[in-house]
Amino acid sequence: MIYGLQAAGLYAAIAIPMGLVLGIVHIVNLAHGEFMMLASYATYFTCKALGMDPLIAIVPTAIVTAIFGWIIFQLTIRRALKAPELNQLILTFGIAIVFSQAINLVFTSQTYKMPLDYVSASMDIGELTFGIWSFVFVAAAILFAGGLNFFLKRTTTGKAALAVGQNPKGAAIVGIDVYRTYGLVFALAIALVGAMGALFLTKSAIFPTVGSPFTMKSFCLVAMAGVGNIPGILSASVLLGLTENFLRAFRGSREWADIVFFVLIIVVIMSRSLKGRKS
Amino acid sequence: MNRTLARSLPVAAIGVAILLPMFMGDYPLQVARNIMLYMALAVTWDMLLRSGQISFGIAGLFGLGSYASILAVVRGGMPGWLSIPFAGLFAGLAAFLIGFLILRLRHTYFSIVTLALGEIFRIIIHNMHDFSGGPEGIVVQQGIIFGGASRNLYWLTLAGLAVALLASYWFEKSKVRFALTAIRNNEISAKSSGVNIFRWLLLAFVVTSAIQGMMGGIFVMSYGFASPETVFSADFTLLPLAMALLGGIHSTVGPILGGLLLGLVSEWLKLQIPYGHLVVYGVMIVVVILFMPQGLLGLARKTMRAAGRNRK
Amino acid sequence: MTKLKTIGLSRRFLGLVAVNKVSFSMDEGEILGIIGPNGAGKTTFINLISGIIMPGEGKIEYKGQDITYMPAHERARLGIARTYQLIHPLENLSLIENVMVGSIFARGHSMREARRRAADLCGELGLKDLDRDTSKLTILEVKKMEIARALANEPEVLFLDEVMAGLNADETKDLIATVQRIARERKLAVGVVEHVMGVIRELTHRVIVLEAGELIAEGPYEEVSKNPRVVEAYLGGAA
Repeated sequence: MIYGLQAAGLYAAIAIPMGLVLGIVHIVNLAHGEFMMLASYATYFTCKALGMDPLIAIVPTAIVTAIFGWIIFQLTIRRALKAPELNQLILTFGIAIVFSQAINLVFTSQTYKMPLDYVSASMDIGELTFGIWSFVFVAAAILFAGGLNFFLKRTTTGKAALAVGQNPKGAAIVGIDVYRTYGLVFALAIALVGAMGALFLTKSAIFPTVGSPFTMKSFCLVAMAGVGNIPGILSASVLLGLTENFLRAFRGSREWADIVFFVLIIVVIMSRSLKGRKS
Repeated sequence: MNRTLARSLPVAAIGVAILLPMFMGDYPLQVARNIMLYMALAVTWDMLLRSGQISFGIAGLFGLGSYASILAVVRGGMPGWLSIPFAGLFAGLAAFLIGFLILRLRHTYFSIVTLALGEIFRIIIHNMHDFSGGPEGIVVQQGIIFGGASRNLYWLTLAGLAVALLASYWFEKSKVRFALTAIRNNEISAKSSGVNIFRWLLLAFVVTSAIQGMMGGIFVMSYGFASPETVFSADFTLLPLAMALLGGIHSTVGPILGGLLLGLVSEWLKLQIPYGHLVVYGVMIVVVILFMPQGLLGLARKTMRAAGRNRK
Repeated sequence: MTKLKTIGLSRRFLGLVAVNKVSFSMDEGEILGIIGPNGAGKTTFINLISGIIMPGEGKIEYKGQDITYMPAHERARLGIARTYQLIHPLENLSLIENVMVGSIFARGHSMREARRRAADLCGELGLKDLDRDTSKLTILEVKKMEIARALANEPEVLFLDEVMAGLNADETKDLIATVQRIARERKLAVGVVEHVMGVIRELTHRVIVLEAGELIAEGPYEEVSKNPRVVEAYLGGAA
């Protein structure tokens, strides 16, 4: 139950930035998890070299990945915005491969992990013992959701971004630089993902394909919640996290836990599209 | 003169392809087999793409066919040669059933669901230890097809590729082309012209899936071994996609051309860099999408048109 | 003879009534104008009849057969054809191949037969150089191709959704004559949506007027155009 919630936090924190990009830039970024993976690697090697704690690296990592995201956006995605959806999908798919395989090329498929003491801190409630560190993911998810909500509704840039997301042509007419806004939103999303990359490193081992399941899961959660529905992502994540961990708890069904997500994604997409067809 | 050249070129290519084993050792033949396998997958991926549907599930159907074939042989005692059409039939039937559900989806949703389905197949096979051999995989103990003679295996794979090419040719020359093109362009106006969209999508999905499954059967029968990690490898989705894009989509020649080129390059790269040679594919996909969305074929057409204009 | 009939046909979008209880009929050989201010529901009405969207209430009858919930491609086979306001020629198909599609799928002709019929149709409409890429066509040719594509279904009922838009005076004249000739020769029932009233006056035998999804007037153009409700609907829209 508790592990389920913690997993949910992780899923939600990673899915929220994808929801942001899909909602405003209208791009399905299939390289989403790979951006996180890159951030994790960057954090790992910087921290290793400087003897730093990954937690301190969260903010710098976010800034660096934001810049990186901006560059990638300008170099590639921007050019495909007007292209058919097919091209966009294949493009980000290609970017995902470049990222994960480039890491594979440089660092091979070996796993890396940060040994950190505080991660294993645990807590007892009655007879239950559980790790408290992973709650940091839940905190991050709530922070992201709240922060984005504030950004989109209360700040000028955020409002502009929302306007662009709803009606790019109209936004352009009232003088908003649409492409700049897309770039900013994309960079912001990648920054959040980058921060998650640093945070993820505190808990998990990293390897070249560590990001790709998160791309899928994020997309699933965003699809489940509906485009532009950030609180929906939170509840969808809770559902996914709980079901997975429920199955994991039993010996007989442990190995089937991974399938939950894929079945869930199909069920959700099917029901959504059929409902959409009727209305 | 140009036309005779266009006619004689494929004939020559077929001749060379059939006679190749006479002049080649085992290693080059194995490379050629791999390339032909990927070509067949690339062509079938493109065939479905002609309707506008992007599948990310090639590896899923390939793996499904692989296991259908090897399990039929190992558990069911089916002769190896028969297990290959059986694999195609099985994958085709699976696609038929799945198609009823997923062919109502469009765009990104369709693509993601095909990807998810592939993963589901993999996890099921992975977890059915007793029947499928689980993560360790499964081996054909005796009676390996053709006794493993590489010439015969080459011809077998060539035959598989020929099936894919014939199907693609049929798609290009028959009503299927009109149906898929109309659907790709605009489903609403396709309906108004009497096109039963679901039926044609189902046809394309079943035919391409069956061929992908059959190639899976050829693959495992050639090696006598299957494991979830090898036959459901993302490579089987990735490489064909990159090949078709590079060569030029919506044609038969494009994927073949791209397959030949990328296949040779990757074989060479695999020897140079053991880890991460796939990065080349990623870069290729990105570059092609951004700078030459019509692929090499489109580029060639454009240059020829430009040359023709200059001559005038 | 009545070809097509609707009874109390309605459709809402998110609570907004797009088409409200429209009953009308079309006879063989008749050219019917469908007019009304912008957003009156004209295109929605055609979409309902051709099966692109399904109605909420009401009934559609084609030659006495209930087709209210029949899928669009089956209606195309029965003999209902239409053109689209936004025209999308099929890329990667030549002019004649575009026209062949309806012949192949709505009529089930073989490829060879479809090509022959498409060539005849194009000839009838004055389209030449049939192997051209569709990106090379003039506006008039595109419009004619669109009509040819609809006629390839060999329909008995044909809807033309703003086919005259974007044409100059001479081209419009040419196309009006063409449509009239086709309707007469094939005994078609033709429904025409147009914004230019001159076209409606010349082309149609009878018009129906839609406003906010409701049918507010019906009759010959000269008569309807003097109807105070119709005048108000247009002026109200303008003011």
